[in-house]
Amino acid sequence: MSDTATLAPAEVATGQESVETPAAHAAALPPTMPRRRELIFGTVFVTAGVVMAMLTLIGSYIATRDAAGARWLADNQIALTQPNMQMLTMVMSVVTMQWAVWSISRDDRYHTYLALGVTMLLGIAFVNQSTFLFKEAGIAITQPEGPLFYAVTIGHLAMIVAGLIFLLLMAFRTLGGQYSSRQPDGIGAAAVFWYSGVALYAVIWFAVYIQK
Amino acid sequence: MTLTDTRSTSDNPAVAASGPPVPSSLERFLGTGEHQAIGRSFILSSLLLMALSAGTLAVGGVSALSSTGTVDISDSVWNSALVGMVLMGAIPLLLGLAICLVPMQVGSPAIAFPRAAALSLWGWLVSAAIFAISVPLHGGVEGTKLEGARLGMLSMGSMMVALSLGAVCVVTTVLSHRPVGMGLARVPFFAWSMLVAAPIWILTFGSTTAHVFLGQISQANAAGLALRYQAGISWFLRAPSVYMIAIPVLGISCDLVGKASGRRFVRYGTVQAMIAVYGVFSFGAWTQTSGGRENIIWITFVALAALPVLVVLGLIADTLRHQKPVVSPALVGVLFAFLMLLGGLLAGVLEALNTTGSGTLLGFEATGLGWAQAVFMLGAAFIAGLAALSAWSRVVLRASAPGALAGTALTAALIGGGLLATVFFIQGLTGFGLGASLYEVWVAVAAAVLALAGLLGLMMVLATSRGSASESAESSSAGLTLEWAAAELSTEDQALLQSAVVASPYPLLDFRSTGEAVEEEK
Repeated sequence: MSDTATLAPAEVATGQESVETPAAHAAALPPTMPRRRELIFGTVFVTAGVVMAMLTLIGSYIATRDAAGARWLADNQIALTQPNMQMLTMVMSVVTMQWAVWSISRDDRYHTYLALGVTMLLGIAFVNQSTFLFKEAGIAITQPEGPLFYAVTIGHLAMIVAGLIFLLLMAFRTLGGQYSSRQPDGIGAAAVFWYSGVALYAVIWFAVYIQK
Repeated sequence: MTLTDTRSTSDNPAVAASGPPVPSSLERFLGTGEHQAIGRSFILSSLLLMALSAGTLAVGGVSALSSTGTVDISDSVWNSALVGMVLMGAIPLLLGLAICLVPMQVGSPAIAFPRAAALSLWGWLVSAAIFAISVPLHGGVEGTKLEGARLGMLSMGSMMVALSLGAVCVVTTVLSHRPVGMGLARVPFFAWSMLVAAPIWILTFGSTTAHVFLGQISQANAAGLALRYQAGISWFLRAPSVYMIAIPVLGISCDLVGKASGRRFVRYGTVQAMIAVYGVFSFGAWTQTSGGRENIIWITFVALAALPVLVVLGLIADTLRHQKPVVSPALVGVLFAFLMLLGGLLAGVLEALNTTGSGTLLGFEATGLGWAQAVFMLGAAFIAGLAALSAWSRVVLRASAPGALAGTALTAALIGGGLLATVFFIQGLTGFGLGASLYEVWVAVAAAVLALAGLLGLMMVLATSRGSASESAESSSAGLTLEWAAAELSTEDQALLQSAVVASPYPLLDFRSTGEAVEEEK
């Protein structure tokens, strides 16, 4: 995705004020500058679609569970320790993600890399915790609860993995000097997607694990 | 001597002089990130697929007539044809126009995320092809064979994802690619309507795609998948969600009326607000469960959606009253598209009224009214799309569309779409009161005319693109907004316009009236 384009002339101090003819003026103009907030807007809309899909899945899960009553997950035990730890991991990752946003806006590259690294580490820990939880819960895809349970949890897991890839890509771009205090959009966009993933997990944590 | 390194091409003067390899036309077609090329491919494909979907409906009508004569509106082929006309015809046509036009309307040389826009095109096209293939395999929507039904559902979900991606590119362009001075209040109406429509499409398709995912993961049989479609997806073709298809119709209508009359809309902000309000009332993801429908909120949403449309219609009439417009097939087309839009809203209101109280208040048939809403809305979108294509042909296709062909295509779309929607509307009101044979003949003829309209639209685009247009569809009404700059201004004037601050929603009109660059903002 290209996030560079030509800024409108009036925004650019060209130092060419003495140029008189319009054609020469236009020819002197277009320095390439990044489009501010393009990536953030794009990410917000993609995230909105993903969140809508996830909320629909969660809504279907709740509706089906209410219809099933006490029979829902009667044969499975889901201890709360694991989901609670996952929630804690996600909350910690919000802090580190915000640390990355804060650092890049101050051109503190060292802390940006550090914060992105820790966020990714926490994300990987979340993936690891999820697989452990699936193993512990022992919910088969063939049992009535299986498809909905895995649609919600695997769907969210896929979102977190996508967030990790997004973070990795933005970290590489930052390493390449593409993002700085003048153009922090990449890190901001990754943060928007990541925060949405965390917020969705909070909903899943409450609706799927706490309420059971 | 052993050669251990590849010889540099610069060593060979012949190679160096020839420069980098020039991509072939096929490579350029497949690999382009240029928004106009992507938009044109969307438009061409959608017209062809619209014809295919409507043709399928016509064949469905004829085959029902020739077999048992039983009227079965829930037939898989019919539902697949309806979904096809919406997801393969109407919405991609409008999206293609938006990808082509919106960057130019907001004065941007490119669309946001051009590679994502290309991915949207190819993802949609491949998914549409798979969906079309799945229908004869007894699949598509509510198919009877498991493999075909799974293929149909999956390809339908993929189409929705691809269209959402295209919508993301368009809406991001409007938000972040505007020139200096063009605040959101000065965005042209079509771009504004896409700014309203795109988020609604993204949210709605996000929700329906989740049900497609659930259908795939639940390993349901064909009946289970049909049930999943009925319970989780079909709501997007009923009020109020189906209204979202026609949001850009409002923007196209206002832009074309403004251009035809050469006059500014007096209450520009009011029109924008009304388009936004209509968009809000067309968001219907909350109506997907039976509990969400048929309550006072649903009835209110469905009924109130008509108000902003009526206000916009009044403002259009006011503009036309003050300045006699240059009449063209496109202008007549958008006005009829507006009528179709009002027809869809009426069908929605009648269905809503019917559900008040216990049972059905007026004894209407909900299925028929549901189909009427969808066909009215997609008909409005299709007619507005053809009208826009004709009116903006010099911008989109770089030549004036042939007038006779544009007029014929619009007439066929109006007759086909109008007849098709009307038959379902009557069916909804009378509860299958028509004789089965008459009903099927009516559907078959109307769908065939609609398919013909798609083919005529395709011919119009091809004839215009090849420069064989002999008679222009549009008379010489001057453009008011930035997309016309390249077609109507000299290079020097374009440069002058580009270096100026936009001071109103009509920069080109300002430019012409002042004879110089747009005034500085006060």
